[in-house]
Amino acid sequence: MSTAPAPTITERTTREDATPRRSRTARRFTIGASMLHLFLGVAAIVWLVPVIWMFVLATSDNDLLQLDSQTLLPQGFTLQNLIGELSNSELPRWFLNSLIVTGVTTIGTVVCSAMAGYAFGRLDFRFKEPLFIVTLAGLMVPREAMFIPLYLMFSSAGQLNTYPAMFLPRIALPLGVFIMTQFFRAVPRELEEAARIDGAGHRRIFTRIMLPLARPAIAALAIFAFVQSWNDYLWPLVVATQPDYYTLTVGLAQQQASFEAARSLGDLMSRGVIGSLPLIVVFLLFQRQLVRGISLASGEK
Amino acid sequence: MSQASAIRRRSRTGDTRAALLFLLPFSVLALVFILYPVVQALYMGFFDWDLLTQRAQNFGLQNYVTMLGGHGFVWSATHMLTWRVPLLVVAAVVAVGALRGRGRPLRAGVVVLLLLGLVVALGFHPGPQGSWNDPRFWAALQHTIEFTVISTPLLLALGLAMALAVNRPGRAASWYRGAFFLPYVLPVSVVTLIWIYLYNPSRGLFASVTSAFGVEPIDYLNSSALAIPAVVLTTVWWTVGFNMVLFVAGLQDIEPSLYEAASLDGAGRVQSFLNITLPGLRRVMLLVLVTQVVASFQVFGQIYLMTRGGPGDSSLVLIQHIYQSGIRDSDLGYASAMSIVLLVLILAVSLVQLRFFKEDDA
Repeated sequence: MSTAPAPTITERTTREDATPRRSRTARRFTIGASMLHLFLGVAAIVWLVPVIWMFVLATSDNDLLQLDSQTLLPQGFTLQNLIGELSNSELPRWFLNSLIVTGVTTIGTVVCSAMAGYAFGRLDFRFKEPLFIVTLAGLMVPREAMFIPLYLMFSSAGQLNTYPAMFLPRIALPLGVFIMTQFFRAVPRELEEAARIDGAGHRRIFTRIMLPLARPAIAALAIFAFVQSWNDYLWPLVVATQPDYYTLTVGLAQQQASFEAARSLGDLMSRGVIGSLPLIVVFLLFQRQLVRGISLASGEK
Repeated sequence: MSQASAIRRRSRTGDTRAALLFLLPFSVLALVFILYPVVQALYMGFFDWDLLTQRAQNFGLQNYVTMLGGHGFVWSATHMLTWRVPLLVVAAVVAVGALRGRGRPLRAGVVVLLLLGLVVALGFHPGPQGSWNDPRFWAALQHTIEFTVISTPLLLALGLAMALAVNRPGRAASWYRGAFFLPYVLPVSVVTLIWIYLYNPSRGLFASVTSAFGVEPIDYLNSSALAIPAVVLTTVWWTVGFNMVLFVAGLQDIEPSLYEAASLDGAGRVQSFLNITLPGLRRVMLLVLVTQVVASFQVFGQIYLMTRGGPGDSSLVLIQHIYQSGIRDSDLGYASAMSIVLLVLILAVSLVQLRFFKEDDA
């Protein structure tokens, strides 16, 4: 998105203002623009203050924080909190749980959405329209709110505290199907026709032509599913009753309540840093795909 | 007969089988884990269904009676005025609009009557001798609606304002977009961890900022009046970046030539915004509004972690009540019945929104 922005009002005005005739308006616009940049720059930094504060406290000495935590400068810079929390017996285990659940959910979501999206976007079959509308209606079902019957389903099958219980209900994502359908619909017919004349079946067309073409949409969907799954709170909270099966998001939440946590603010914020670092890294690496993925979801309806 | 058309015909007959295969994984999972739970919750809601014994007894409507019923009601004109006055204003606006010939008069009449009915109904409440069967349900419903009504306009307006500000080419703008979007990727437990301490009256940054202006530190999360607004502020910080990105995408879909034509006609910035930008964003607006309301009605994590529904029950929301009734108190039937009521509420609000926007299209 940042590479090929559509022309906006600003861009057009600057282009027009480049002509010497309008130099006075041009100067006014430049001052206006730099004021706007100043404002936005300050706003962006203020917006990030809570995150910066977390990092500052995480790298501060616990005892010094007892005296003063209302600062954006590290109090006695140290990495001891972070190292201590990483060697903590529970955090690595929760990290692994989150990784497994999130990994399977993400792959499953992408595969299911891509396949269903191919069917809705490229194939002709009976009841296609009604089926697609039913899928879209799935967007309106409050999935979070329906955890009671799901809980009963897994508890009566003796499947609480298992990985499948955590990822199975999260794989079918109507939004993902919608995104992939939008994408496959836009693929030109000729690409497929040529392969078909060569005698390729649907499976071949899907794996050899469509999937490689859909790489940007798939990347976007994968990152979106990753963030959603890593941050899922209510369902893992319900289905994981033993600390060994907590995800990182649930585990961190359980520790917030404890009393000793309040005394060692540095340790507490270190856990926050560890819990959010994978996401911040993913975000920094794939920001463009993530943003594009969300944009795809906003496409025609 | 050409080769291509023969191929097309063959493919059409073969498509149904292929489609079945391609749809299979998604449909099976969606049926089992999205549709079936809804049906099962509807079923469970009619029983006294205990988690520990796993037995369903006493088929009937008692869960709904417990949830919605009460005794000793009285009616007073002043009860819940902060809700009824705005509803009256909305009814008046619709009525005046219809009288001036905007929209369909019949539908406007129905809307006005429904709103007036709601205003009258909100006057009923348990009197000094009466009570609701489950006062916590009504408290939770009230707080859920309050959270939605406060947060949705903020998330919409701020998201749009941010999108307008950062929708420009260049490296700087993409940095701003990144900064505003970043909080969205944080887990809820990290967001609440940071904000619980930000709000902390003796250790947080809020207190140090407000005391610089001579205001005594306030314990926001332990104040029954400020707990929900504080959580709303956290939620806005956490999620508004998502709406911003949606709005940016919508802005970039608007034909630039429309703005050129408007400026040739002498339209100012405000006029362009009202006549081109807002109509052009209609679809995105609808998407944001519907997903926002669906998400807000299901708010749980941040409130539960920041206030536990307190102080007292002053920030209790529906999902927390469902969670505690079902999992902690083992009353799966009652929890299911509440899930169904929540589902109906969400569907109703979503459909009204879709309807409203569609009508405007015509």
